[in-house]
Amino acid sequence: MTIKPGARARDYKPFSEQDLKQIDDAIMNLLSDTGVKVSNQQALEIFDEHGAEVDYETQMVKLPQSMVEEAIDSTPSNVKLYGREEKNNLEIGENRVHYGTGGTVLDVLDLETGEKRRINIQDVADIAKLVDALENIHFLVIPVYPNECDDQNVDVNRFYSALKNTTKHIMGGVYSIKGIREVIKMASKIAGSKEALVNQPFISFITCVMSPLILDDIYTDFLIEIAQHGLPVAIPAEPLSGATGPITVAGNVTLMAAESLAGVVLAQLVNPGTPVLFASTASAMDLNTGLYITGEVEMGLMHAGVAQVAQYYGLPLYATAGMSDAKLPDIQSGYESAMTTLLAGLSGANYIHDAAGLLEMCQTVAYEKYVIDNEIIGMAMRAIKGIEVTEETIAADVIDRVGPSGNFLVEEHTRKHMRSEFFQPKVSDRQPREGWEADGAKPTRQRAIEMAKEILNSHQPLGIEKKIDDEIRNEFPHILLDK
Amino acid sequence: MSKLYQGGLLNFFNQDQLEQVHQKTLDILREVGVKVENKEALNLFDEKGADVDFNEKLVKLPNALVEDAIDLAPSTVVLYGREEEHNLELGGKNVYLGTGGTAVNVLDLETGEKRKTTTKDVADIAKVVQKLDNIDFFVIPVFPDDAGKEKADEARFFSSLKNTTKHIMGGVYTAEGQKKVIDAAVGIAGSEQELKEKPFISFIASIMSPLTMEKDYTDYFMYAVRRGVPVVGGTAPIAGATSPISLPGTIAQTNAEALFMVVFSQLIEPGAKTLYGTVPTNMDMRTSNFRFGSIEMGMMNAACAELAQYYQIPIYNTAGVSDSKAIDIQSGYEKMANILMSGLTGTNYIHHAAGLIDSGMTAAYEQYVIDDQMIGMVKRVLRGLEFSEERIAYDDIKEVGPGGNFLTAGSTMKYMRTEFFDDQLYDDRDWDDWLKDGAPDARERAKDIVREILDQEDENLVDQELLTN
Amino acid sequence: MSKMEKVVEEVIAGNVDGVTELTQELVDEGTKPSQIIKEGLVAGMDVVGGRFKKNEMFVPEVLISAKAMHGGMDIVKPLLTEGESSSAGTVIMATVEGDLHDIGKNLVAMMLEGAGFEVVDLGVDVTADEFVEAVKEHQPDIVGLSALLTTTMPAMEETLKSLEEAGIRDQVKVMVGGAPVSEGFANEIGADGYAADGSTATDIAREFVS
Repeated sequence: MTIKPGARARDYKPFSEQDLKQIDDAIMNLLSDTGVKVSNQQALEIFDEHGAEVDYETQMVKLPQSMVEEAIDSTPSNVKLYGREEKNNLEIGENRVHYGTGGTVLDVLDLETGEKRRINIQDVADIAKLVDALENIHFLVIPVYPNECDDQNVDVNRFYSALKNTTKHIMGGVYSIKGIREVIKMASKIAGSKEALVNQPFISFITCVMSPLILDDIYTDFLIEIAQHGLPVAIPAEPLSGATGPITVAGNVTLMAAESLAGVVLAQLVNPGTPVLFASTASAMDLNTGLYITGEVEMGLMHAGVAQVAQYYGLPLYATAGMSDAKLPDIQSGYESAMTTLLAGLSGANYIHDAAGLLEMCQTVAYEKYVIDNEIIGMAMRAIKGIEVTEETIAADVIDRVGPSGNFLVEEHTRKHMRSEFFQPKVSDRQPREGWEADGAKPTRQRAIEMAKEILNSHQPLGIEKKIDDEIRNEFPHILLDK
Repeated sequence: MSKLYQGGLLNFFNQDQLEQVHQKTLDILREVGVKVENKEALNLFDEKGADVDFNEKLVKLPNALVEDAIDLAPSTVVLYGREEEHNLELGGKNVYLGTGGTAVNVLDLETGEKRKTTTKDVADIAKVVQKLDNIDFFVIPVFPDDAGKEKADEARFFSSLKNTTKHIMGGVYTAEGQKKVIDAAVGIAGSEQELKEKPFISFIASIMSPLTMEKDYTDYFMYAVRRGVPVVGGTAPIAGATSPISLPGTIAQTNAEALFMVVFSQLIEPGAKTLYGTVPTNMDMRTSNFRFGSIEMGMMNAACAELAQYYQIPIYNTAGVSDSKAIDIQSGYEKMANILMSGLTGTNYIHHAAGLIDSGMTAAYEQYVIDDQMIGMVKRVLRGLEFSEERIAYDDIKEVGPGGNFLTAGSTMKYMRTEFFDDQLYDDRDWDDWLKDGAPDARERAKDIVREILDQEDENLVDQELLTN
Repeated sequence: MSKMEKVVEEVIAGNVDGVTELTQELVDEGTKPSQIIKEGLVAGMDVVGGRFKKNEMFVPEVLISAKAMHGGMDIVKPLLTEGESSSAGTVIMATVEGDLHDIGKNLVAMMLEGAGFEVVDLGVDVTADEFVEAVKEHQPDIVGLSALLTTTMPAMEETLKSLEEAGIRDQVKVMVGGAPVSEGFANEIGADGYAADGSTATDIAREFVS
């Protein structure tokens, strides 16, 4: 059974109502009292025009509470992110949960050799194709940066390779204004027109806010550009507890929320009502080694907390979970991925990215990890859907009929519910030991490698209509993917 | 007292649904009944007002009998360790996690091959668990093949007592063995009364699904209650095979069976220390294989905690077994998903939470170490965000300001050792350093920790004389 | 679709009433009972077996199909002439002494019946002597021993010894199964086969009688 994307979450809530009010106060104080450094002239002027307290000398901007509140009000509470097939449409908001990929990764574990090597443009296409086939991965955040590209041509290359291989919603970070415009142009062709794309956006973007409390020059340019187009954009902040954020989980959540909100406010000032996702990639620094880490349990706690803050403000949330710091798809990567995936999902985070494929502190992807995470997400979705209680499911009459010492195997009730009540795993091993040994005693990773290969060999994504594809290739000759 | 963690952070049922499950459970106990294959028990039920059909050996419980027993059963049961730090206060939403199982195989630490478990494995696993701080109690997890059924009880309990001071629980295999174990425990405690007051051992005597109490287990259960040793009448229905396929159906039947045992305990001895024992499982419908690590099993076991809280009776359940044969990524995600859910709902005594793979048939030393870490992480989640003005750290954020860093902030100094879980297996090397070190995976790192523990001298935590009488 | 093809379809669908009615009609029309078994009832179960192996059908569906097939069998069996047999063979099944878990054994029994075997189920907690008596009485082709508890595994060995002492060990093939049992253990105690699950048990049983 596959649970449809957008199942509503159970109520794991690490903050109380009282806690949230206190956090809200702290966030508003940070924005209006401490302020945000805005290293972008245009943004400074926009904030100034709308009544923020702007110091052009120090680039400090203090946002009055009313301005923040108005921006929260004008942000749509539910954002529809489209796929190019209707079954892949997502409605982001409230406590509806979706999972997908993420990262900006440079290396991959080669599917044939198992060795770590640089990502190339074909990997972008192959990962998109894999994600297209994996039923529990609900969207594609383009997770890798191909080695052949540079910041000037990478955007159109990444989005093209993805569009060619999946009809799921595609989101991606961007690297130049030129790139953003090319991507929008290309997607408009596929949509039929720019208007059609804006009405049913099947692509969207990610910018970011630097921690602590900085809207930098380049990303802020990107944010303003995207908001002007009216296309959806996620504005994550990534404070690392202990380094660029407070060591305490509650403090890091507070800082993150203030930072992303600063971006949300700017987008709403540029284009009121434009769809934006309040967004978090908050994590921590390992204070023993000074390394950025992603698989720690507190990462899950933070994002469960962030989900509550998003629900408190009625903002759609882009969250982060499911990563691992293990170098291989070993037991550590299993428990780390399951733990944060489940915590973020149970709390009702809407658009949980980074939930598939990642290893080694978000520095490596592995094809087989996508296959395994597809299963972890499927299990998490099952838990999120919860236990449906009705007379029929309680089945007291069936128990009565079977009675002491009987069995339920041939009951019609069993036949009726057995496919829908239980998640049917694909990669997890459920055989008796002897069968497993007869099949070569393969660990889960090996089975997943074989499944990934099988999908890449046989799966046929919808692709891009030939005529439009030709037009795109003509107009953007710097697209590198093999025809 | 062992450090306290509490759940109650996740619910699968709302109040109406709990009520509905309860009503159906009463219907099952009153209308369907339970088959009791034990004369003495049948007489007791008859005497106390149950509706008993001696021909069919069928016992039906009037609502009042069930409700009285629920009231009578203690809401808090303290299971003692032989050191105070290991005492467990079971009840409410308190969460403790420990070992469990009756595995017959173990992965040999050195060869990695599967082999039969022996008495020495009982001792060695107990020794490892004694040193693993996140594991709260020891449910004897393996069957000693060398001892055989006749000597199993002594081999299991005595080897455990010698190697761990954590609370020890186990099933029993013979009436003689059970008596020997209790007699030895009385000796260690000083007197029968002292053991009753501070029980550092306890028993499991299961009810079969659907709705059947077998003769010998019923005897073991009665004997434990009569000697004042806590006992769990656990039930482990298999959804689709020995209980309905639907999760609420299996939960309702589980509840009926577990409550039946609670009633039984209170009829034997009002106020007897017992736990509500629920281990709902399922079968893989494609193959008929028994499952111990499915996500739905995790959901059902976690949801039973809500029923236990509704009844205010301490709960014993299962989470953390994997169906994987290998210590691989599957055993990682299956275990974590399920212990996390049971922890979040607030299950008091989560057993099977360490050491087991292969649907519970096989134990592995390094898996105990890995699971100890997972349990630690779950407890970190239960600690939660520990909300406070100070933890929001507004003053530090204000002082650091845009573009600064928190490396030497006051809050960092104060909380850096306690805010983040200290994961012993966590691999924080970058790729190159890790490769240079021989590319060890989490399993290899865990094996090293096991070897370190087993290399230490045995402590002989109990006087040998007390075990030989 | 011919009536015979419909029987096949109804067996696959697990429709007991449909199979029973159609079988009766075929009998009334004069179709040979052995042909109904071969081309209708067993043919249907063969399809079911194939789909089960491909994971398309789940265990309960297989069992329900088997139930439907037996609905038809009950009609044609009494009509078979001397020498004709509806049964693939006879199997005695039980859970050995000291073990009261029986879901595994029940499941294997149901799967074997589905494959056309005659199954004599002795129940649970069956002693070695009871086994010997039963083998003498029912003259089975196969004896199936099940255990779920570790502690009851030695009882399997006991049972094999008793069969040997009674001089009837050679008359039957013995297969063992149950969660704690392994291929190695089966070899150790001298069983003829080991089945990890119901469908393997069926395969092994077919091999034994072929």
